[in-house]
Amino acid sequence: MTNAVETYTPLAPEDQARADLYSLLSSLLLSIPTDETLQKLSQLEGGEGDIGSAISSLARVAKAVDAGSVEREYNVVFIGVGRGDILPYASYYLTGFLHEKPLADLRAAMRSLGLQRREGVVEPEDHLGSLCEMMSGLITGAFGEPASLQTQKDFFNAHIGPWAAHCFSDLEKAENAVLYAPVGSLGRALMDIENEAFRFE
Amino acid sequence: MSEQNTTQAGRRGFLKLLTASIPAAAVAVATGSKAVASEGVEVRESKGLQKTEHYKKYLETARF
Repeated sequence: MTNAVETYTPLAPEDQARADLYSLLSSLLLSIPTDETLQKLSQLEGGEGDIGSAISSLARVAKAVDAGSVEREYNVVFIGVGRGDILPYASYYLTGFLHEKPLADLRAAMRSLGLQRREGVVEPEDHLGSLCEMMSGLITGAFGEPASLQTQKDFFNAHIGPWAAHCFSDLEKAENAVLYAPVGSLGRALMDIENEAFRFE
Repeated sequence: MSEQNTTQAGRRGFLKLLTASIPAAAVAVATGSKAVASEGVEVRESKGLQKTEHYKKYLETARF
């Protein structure tokens, strides 16, 4: 009887927090932050723990930089001359090459979840920012219904868990990272928590 | 309490770590690009197909 009526259940606060962090990471990884974004970042106040201190650092750095310097940083870190410091693609991290099997596996998973690359986007889907966007959308239901915890777990374990913490940690330590150093710390801390939380059985 | 509920309670307890660490304003910052959409949804953006710097670099790197 209890499940006779389907009711709208708002997202649990911890799931909302996960989705918000994934969404924040996604937008910082996929595009160069504008002055407006930096201004908003500079007002964030981190709370407890590794994530809290990463957010505090991010706010502190955001206050000290401007859109011009962040654009130069983004270009050096991700684009580079020759190549950037960081190639944030699953395929690269897992095989040493771009466009390998991890990308094909991800594309198959996306098809089964009813997801596709947005029209006009030419970057491969296994970019860390895209994967963070997908996790956020699976949690909130941005792509339809919120995905079950099992679906989230399977997706995370197959496409993110094996390499994302490593990539965020490289970003954290990248020679030219200024704003992106605390972004790396934040991502690494979130990956640690996600890895741990998906172990509850 | 069913086994599933116990799991969820443990997980939720653990994830309190998160809710205690992030400001509610975090999501308001996330306004950048989007790369993913649901299938069958009209998502065309006015800019059309673009070769972003990221992608140009990707192509360049992929040659090796």
